[in-house]
Amino acid sequence: MRYAGIAAGAGVLASCKKASTSASAASGSPRPAIAQEPGGLKVFDWAGYGGGEYYPKDEKAVFTAPYEKATGDTPTFVLFENDDDGFTKVATGNAPYDVVHPCAYRFKDYVDLGAVQPWDPSLIKNFSQLSPLLEQLGQIDGQQYFIPEDWGYIAPMYNADQVKPTEDSWSLLWDDRYAKRIAWINTLEMLVIAGYYNGVADPWTMTDDELAQQRDFLISKKDLVSFFWDQSYDFWLKFKRGDVWVGYAWPDAYGYASAQGMNAVYMQPKEGRIHWSCGLGLFADSQNYYHAHDYANTWSSVDTASFLENFYYYGHANTSVDLKSLPPGVVKALNLDNLEAALSPPLSHPESWISRRDVYAQYWSEVKAA
Amino acid sequence: MAATASAADAARRVRRRDRASTAALLSGPLLWLLLFFLAPVVYVALYSVGGIKIFPTDAGVWSVGDWKHLLVGGSVYMGLFWKSVRISLTVSVIVVLLAYPVGYFLALVVRKRKYILLLLIIAPFLTSYLLRVLAWEVILGDSGVINSFLSLIHLRSSDHPVTWLLNSQFSVVLVLAYVWVPFVALPIFVSLDNLDISLLEAASDLGASRLRTFWRITLPLSIPGVIAAFVFVFVPTIGEFVTPLLVGGPSGYMYGNAIQDVFTRGTDWQTGSVLAMFLLVVVAGLMALFGRYVRVRSVAA
Repeated sequence: MRYAGIAAGAGVLASCKKASTSASAASGSPRPAIAQEPGGLKVFDWAGYGGGEYYPKDEKAVFTAPYEKATGDTPTFVLFENDDDGFTKVATGNAPYDVVHPCAYRFKDYVDLGAVQPWDPSLIKNFSQLSPLLEQLGQIDGQQYFIPEDWGYIAPMYNADQVKPTEDSWSLLWDDRYAKRIAWINTLEMLVIAGYYNGVADPWTMTDDELAQQRDFLISKKDLVSFFWDQSYDFWLKFKRGDVWVGYAWPDAYGYASAQGMNAVYMQPKEGRIHWSCGLGLFADSQNYYHAHDYANTWSSVDTASFLENFYYYGHANTSVDLKSLPPGVVKALNLDNLEAALSPPLSHPESWISRRDVYAQYWSEVKAA
Repeated sequence: MAATASAADAARRVRRRDRASTAALLSGPLLWLLLFFLAPVVYVALYSVGGIKIFPTDAGVWSVGDWKHLLVGGSVYMGLFWKSVRISLTVSVIVVLLAYPVGYFLALVVRKRKYILLLLIIAPFLTSYLLRVLAWEVILGDSGVINSFLSLIHLRSSDHPVTWLLNSQFSVVLVLAYVWVPFVALPIFVSLDNLDISLLEAASDLGASRLRTFWRITLPLSIPGVIAAFVFVFVPTIGEFVTPLLVGGPSGYMYGNAIQDVFTRGTDWQTGSVLAMFLLVVVAGLMALFGRYVRVRSVAA
């Protein structure tokens, strides 16, 4: 009797699970005008892009205030820790938001899921100022599903007062001389870095054998690592304290270090850096179509670009920013004066979509569990 | 005859009323347990064998492949599980060894203000868990209290601090032991407090030294409390993931962290469900085993 009840309960729960988000059929039906949209734009984003986690006043001035002025609406922010975290939430249907901000190597996953609908660039005034090189990353099946905005690098960063690399290479991340002074990122991207270091042809599409080789390599070097970072800011805090001297780093950590007057170096390794780009996506079942486009317009503005470059040492797709207004350290670190070369091999490889992401995740789990 | 029949009737009515009121009182907690504990556990168990589909990428076919891989397929998570068991055992033994004197002192040495002292020992418990764990970063870090002191007295230079204090298995064991000692002192205190003092007096009257009294009388009688305390620490610590996340570093990674990572960093929730169910089954088995040795009544009485 009891067991029948339990089985019935489980059955009820199974049928009550949220349906996955379906592709919008909005292309046929007429859209409500902006005045009829409910407003209350919900943005699913990284920390520091409007929520005020890092620069409360400046973030508000850059992301929220212009949008508020244009629409009279105030956006709210829901944060995810990283792309995996955010995507998992969307995949389980638990993301009732309007705008999402994943990175390019995830764009296809979102489109395949049917979670996003294409933007209409003609509704975004500032779109023409965005670099076509980056915007094409957001084009899938001929539609502008994502609007790449921010971009940056992944490179080794080290404290030049304590560290003297034998060569400009990713090998610094497993240099015996700096045992327990090294930080890795807490994602499967470490397998890709190991792949570039070990000469794999395309680390984004590795076979099981190649993955096993990178896994074993990373396990053998794991003892040299002090900790794996989830948030770039946590890495920066330990770098600042001198607990770590070397790390897998995004340019914002370098920006903080320079602002602090530390003798940090953002390396150009011989295997090449990786460049990432993240962009805005519009959820398929969002009720705020025109509001979202206005938000994208705010993101695409010169002021936003200037904020990103000055405060986070991140690049921005809007190339109209006057390079002379930026600290020279930024221009140099991001190679802003030579964007085309900077965003291509051999200087940097694009962060690419991984079709067998779950397999990579499995191998990374094994690195951590060993 | 009639009198006993009506007395029996009355007795039956009272029993039925008691049963009804017991059922009514229990129905709330039972419903809660059914909805928020039993049903989710069954859901996860069904998901682990492929009976339910959540993601579009789920196979949706019944299969015990993931279970086989974990149990006999040389899965890396098995090794991780044993590592967590080892860490939990270490923590539990240390905690019981440290908490026993505290419980003993409170129960058998302190005469006045026993419960005030108990409250003082429990008080750190009332502050935020996160703060208490993070405070250890300040103490154990490379430029923290211990390393600063060592460089002050010139035992280590400030360029070569002791690095294994933090982000290591040592820090995980240390912090977990620190967190659990006040909690574990309680059942030991309770079982010692309930000792019949006259037994100890009789022993000393018969000429036994204090050590002998402790060894032959106090300790054996407090064993149920000690075992209860051991289980209280061991069971939650196997699945612990917050402390390893904060102070464990790469080598302090535990089984609970693996479960958390699998669920938050990918869509392979089937593996995560298998891992979670395995832990649940092991813990349930352990509880059943310990239940034979711990008579709950003797601890609570």
